[in-house]
Amino acid sequence: MKLAVISCIHGNLPALDAVLADITQQKAEKIYCVGDLVGYGPYPNEVVERIRTLNIPTCAGCWDEDVVEGLNACECSYPSLLAEKRGMAAHAWTNQEVTPETREFLAQLPHSLHEGNLCFVHGSPYSAHEYLLPEMDAFVAMERVLSTGADVLFCGHTHVPYVRSLDNGQLQIRITSPSIDSEQQLNFTAPFQQIINVGSVGEPRHGRPNATYVFYDTETKQVTLREVSYNYQKTCAAIIEKGLPPIFAWRLAKGLEYAERAEDPTHVCAR
Amino acid sequence: MKQLITAVAGLPGVGKTNWIRQQLTQQPTLYFSPATRIGIDQTRLAAEFPHMQFLADDQQAQLGSFLASGVNAYLELGYHLDLAQIAPILDTLNCHRVAIVPAGMQETSDWEEWADEMITGSSGAIDANSLWVANTTGHVIDPDSLEVFWYELTQGAYGTVSRAKGIFELVDGLSVYGDFVAGLQPQDFDELNLPRWLEGRPQRLSGIEVWGNQLDEAAIAQTFQDCCLSDAVIHHYQQQVKEILSQEAMV
Repeated sequence: MKLAVISCIHGNLPALDAVLADITQQKAEKIYCVGDLVGYGPYPNEVVERIRTLNIPTCAGCWDEDVVEGLNACECSYPSLLAEKRGMAAHAWTNQEVTPETREFLAQLPHSLHEGNLCFVHGSPYSAHEYLLPEMDAFVAMERVLSTGADVLFCGHTHVPYVRSLDNGQLQIRITSPSIDSEQQLNFTAPFQQIINVGSVGEPRHGRPNATYVFYDTETKQVTLREVSYNYQKTCAAIIEKGLPPIFAWRLAKGLEYAERAEDPTHVCAR
Repeated sequence: MKQLITAVAGLPGVGKTNWIRQQLTQQPTLYFSPATRIGIDQTRLAAEFPHMQFLADDQQAQLGSFLASGVNAYLELGYHLDLAQIAPILDTLNCHRVAIVPAGMQETSDWEEWADEMITGSSGAIDANSLWVANTTGHVIDPDSLEVFWYELTQGAYGTVSRAKGIFELVDGLSVYGDFVAGLQPQDFDELNLPRWLEGRPQRLSGIEVWGNQLDEAAIAQTFQDCCLSDAVIHHYQQQVKEILSQEAMV
């Protein structure tokens, strides 16, 4: 089966529509979305409506959670004081903008989705707020994938797409316990696992305004990172017109997300 | 040795202060930059060359007596000053006039007319037509936010910036200098050779100076403000830094 996986749309409808058009052209049989439909961008209700109308299986992103539950992310969500202030301004705007229907839809999104040996989450299987960065410790990365029972873990949240293969990882565990006479040593070789970060549709951070998503073939296991150009000026104009901070428009046009990502790969979110 | 008074002029960003830095020796030296709205260059040089003497604007009357004491003196003349108006004063001082002009500058006749010596400097802010200056003394900035603010500022988020420089107080008590000239390789912030300030808001100069076009001054000021820390947070971090430093001292 040919799958398209999208993430981090952040209220950017022109970007979403361009990506959906590209997905149609690529002849994907199914689309998954790993969250963050809202936040920062000017079209939160329209994006939710589009996802809902198309019946795209979607899991909750950190922003989707925060809009439903109130802003209670731990400080790791923001790498700087400036980012935090911008995030809070965006949250206040989004919170005021979303309709009850949008909020209701976001509230029923699951934390993760599964299909065969594939798992879909926003941040990590542990939390929608946790970053699975490409440089994350291999043991922790392996643990995160194994905890899902899947072989391939799709995620988003970092806004930078990547594919990480955890191939033939050998784990060695020594167990000592007062109730056991001698030490036990367990060895096993983990199977081939992959973490696929699908990037961001509506708030890219790779230095270009283009939207990114992933195309995945379950038969051949081929992963294709897609980059789609769209009319980002339209989104930039709407950001300003709707009263969001103009710096969001400038950053979007530069291919820089509005709030940057947390830099510490060893940090485990305490949320 | 003959006493030397050198007046240095040029466009913003051509490297006037850097050229003076290169000339400095251990001999008694005086630095005076008249009518600067904030003394960023002076503060930077004072941190690097503690043996130097500096004159503030309100000490201008003492210039003569300082010069009479036989020090070498550098007068850095900001681009906002009218050199024709200053010429008679410079004549009374009998100083050597140095003009630093941008590399590749076509029209240099005005400078040639004014200067005794022409030196080629950096590209400078040839097209800049507006200047925004803020004295930020007492403000303490979050370092990660400073990186973002400086990047956005220098890359055009708040208007076209040709030249920017600033001194910023960080939450760990250190003071850093930021320097940007359009067209030149971006530089990291330089730590100034000043003691850590770990008792409340720093009472030493920090500030920012930006040359450019169509600057959104309100947005620059607001963004800078958004990067600054509250009294409670400053106190919290200062206690932590003091604890770490005392532990290090015990090892």
